[in-house]
Amino acid sequence: MKPLPPTLRENRRYVLVRIEPPWFETDSRTLYGALAESVTALFGDTGMARIQPAVISASRGYAIVRCIRSTEDELLAGLAAVHHVGSQKVALRSVRTSGTLRALRSTIREGRFCPAMETGEARFGGKTYESVSYQLEKVDLFEKGFKSQEPLFLTAEDLEE
Amino acid sequence: MQCTDACVFPYPGGDSSLRRMALSARELGFDSIVAACPANGTYCGVEVIGMKVMGRTGAGAKEVSHAEPGQEGRAITVAHAGEYAANRALLRTGKIMVLRGIQWTPKNSFDHILSRMAAERGIAVDIDFSSLICERGSSRQRVIQRYADIVRLHRKFGFSLTLSSGARSVLGMRSPREMTVLGGLFGLEEDDTGRALGTVRQLLFPRSPVEVVE
Repeated sequence: MKPLPPTLRENRRYVLVRIEPPWFETDSRTLYGALAESVTALFGDTGMARIQPAVISASRGYAIVRCIRSTEDELLAGLAAVHHVGSQKVALRSVRTSGTLRALRSTIREGRFCPAMETGEARFGGKTYESVSYQLEKVDLFEKGFKSQEPLFLTAEDLEE
Repeated sequence: MQCTDACVFPYPGGDSSLRRMALSARELGFDSIVAACPANGTYCGVEVIGMKVMGRTGAGAKEVSHAEPGQEGRAITVAHAGEYAANRALLRTGKIMVLRGIQWTPKNSFDHILSRMAAERGIAVDIDFSSLICERGSSRQRVIQRYADIVRLHRKFGFSLTLSSGARSVLGMRSPREMTVLGGLFGLEEDDTGRALGTVRQLLFPRSPVEVVE
């Protein structure tokens, strides 16, 4: 079967998405599940068919999502409405929209989507927590022994007080 | 352009400290946030404005008309919307700046009369995106319907809107761009969003006629 010539193919837009918190690891399939659920809840099945969202790649800290051209705003609304991926609370922040993957990949190379992270221990409110520090100021705390518990999001200055 | 997230709930009400929320607000493009805590000041280059809540959620009209703001100082005075009579009493007192939680009140609790009253007294109505993001099914549909009604009344009567993420975590905060696309779901246009993000500043520093000082 001959492939469709480029002039007959539908134009697409690619959106670079930052995944917060950066220590959360996910795969394309899980992320697609969360995005599809969000887009379907907002725009219904016909909207989902019109937007045709797809997760091209997902890694620690970022993902690339695709949609049909002129449906970017609907995709961004769908991304903004995602608050959980699986059981983990997340935020999907759109960083850049482009017509080619190459432009987004160059943005990934320039940007700080996978910040260096340091793990350790920290005391806060009289309790000892496991801590993950990144981007100089940000510190996320996990209560020891309760990995499934929601983390606390603080800054280095908060821990010094 | 001034950009303010009109309500966030830092630790202990949420899981993120005030500094961390200010840091995230800066990254998202806000220059100030209204926080549900007594702290005022500037953190990480973002101005933190306090919030005073008048009365309690679901208070009756009589209780509302006798309520007083909790503390003095520079802060946004907020009241939770309730039934029609309570909302009318709140607007009539003139002690509040923002009416919140209107999406959870009955459909007839904010009509054209209260819209005109809000416009005349310079009281803003808050649009909280957390209820749009976190709800599903019929309750989200109800929120969208209520917000669409509010936007329609806002266009007709000209009262101010404030936009808030209502976030209890840094992960619940949304950028102005995200608020614009989410606002598009219930008919809030880009210009209206821009104006609504600057409303808190106007409430704190209302424009008054020029006075000649001799």
